[in-house]
Amino acid sequence: MLKLLKEILRTGEATVKYPFAPMEVCKDFRGKPEHRAADCIACAACTVACPANAIQMETDTAAGSRTWSINYGRCVFCGRCEESCPTGAIRLSADFELAVGSKADLTRKAVFTLAGCACCGKPFAPAKEVDYVARLLGQSARSAEEAERLRLTAATCPACKRAQDVHQIAGMGIARQMDAGQMDAGHSETEHAVKERETTP
Amino acid sequence: MNAPLAPNALVAEMSPVSTSEQIATMKTALLKNIQRSAYVYRVDCGGCNGCEIEIFSSITPVFDAERFGIKVVASPRHADILLFTGAVTRSMRMPALRAYEAAPDPKIVVSYGACGCTGGIFHDLYCVWGGTDNIVPVDVYIPGCPPTPAATIHGFAVALGLLEQKLKAETHVEAAGEAAALAHPDIPYALRVRLEREARRMAGYRQGRTIVEEFMALLEGHARAPGALTLPDRMTAAIAAERDPRRAEIIGRLAEVVQRTIRGEAS
Repeated sequence: MLKLLKEILRTGEATVKYPFAPMEVCKDFRGKPEHRAADCIACAACTVACPANAIQMETDTAAGSRTWSINYGRCVFCGRCEESCPTGAIRLSADFELAVGSKADLTRKAVFTLAGCACCGKPFAPAKEVDYVARLLGQSARSAEEAERLRLTAATCPACKRAQDVHQIAGMGIARQMDAGQMDAGHSETEHAVKERETTP
Repeated sequence: MNAPLAPNALVAEMSPVSTSEQIATMKTALLKNIQRSAYVYRVDCGGCNGCEIEIFSSITPVFDAERFGIKVVASPRHADILLFTGAVTRSMRMPALRAYEAAPDPKIVVSYGACGCTGGIFHDLYCVWGGTDNIVPVDVYIPGCPPTPAATIHGFAVALGLLEQKLKAETHVEAAGEAAALAHPDIPYALRVRLEREARRMAGYRQGRTIVEEFMALLEGHARAPGALTLPDRMTAAIAAERDPRRAEIIGRLAEVVQRTIRGEAS
């Protein structure tokens, strides 16, 4: 009897205090994905990465907005969104108390505005994303003119970029294109000859 | 023979489960103030058994849900709370409905796990109903894949009206002039990309990002307040201070990447 009481005392209490005291989770616990909308550029990387389609994005060109949404009821807490986020806007927190009474409380949304193309004016990408890319490219630009050119490229929609490329190639002129072609051919021939000389003893 | 088939004919019509007003008032009374033990019957509607393992670990001595009177019973006829797990496969719909009908009123229905709440990763599969709420009215949703025992206890506390739910629906609308901050503007972009790539290659995405963030803070600290120590000395000090040999190796590699970039070599 005494031995048993001693054993009980020595073992202590195994049960956690949880609902009455906060639960301590381990260091890399993957809890509720916390989205900081201020840092989000609505690039949709997390939407593509999410295996359960818990994170979704809807683009409304008429209203000029893109709505990002997460459904915590569908989330499998894999952390792919965190891996893929270029700005670190989404991060898995240690929060696990997600039980709700109504399904609507499981979703969280963020609405972003779309930017118009610098060329045709049609909305094509979130304004925050265009701004972020322009600043990132401007950081590595050598001059102010180059930064301005890069900013303009970032703010142009893919269709306009293609159209500009076609114009540029057409503007080069047929004679110059042929010159360029001949030069390429001549170059490779000499290279070939050099290689042959090198390999033959 | 090949007469066109109306698409509606292929979709099974489900009669919605209805509850009378009297039962509804009894249920609100039960949800608000139960004042006795709550017996739980677990209905597996085609889950992967991850949820079941977590339910049983929440009734082990470590989490001990029985101290709140929550007891798992073997028959729905004894149950106050029905716990539905799994994405409700086609063949498990009828057994789930039978269990629901067998439980005496008033009963609380809890949808457990990501699959139970919305269908989870199986939400768009042809063979599932995609969530408990598509077949029976649900009172409480406990998300998680699977929910941890602590989350389970929290969910039961919400179901029995002991705790308030923490999650609320929110919509953030972009403010005018809102801009995402550039990370580490003092470090050249090419160098930052190289460092992040190397750290991810060596330690994976999550740990790699943590390590490279610490490392770049070190670099920036040097750029902002150049002390008596030179850059290589600072790196050596950081490596020496690191107690985990794996992290020390990664920091060493990152320092090497910086040195190479300064010398103008391709890494």
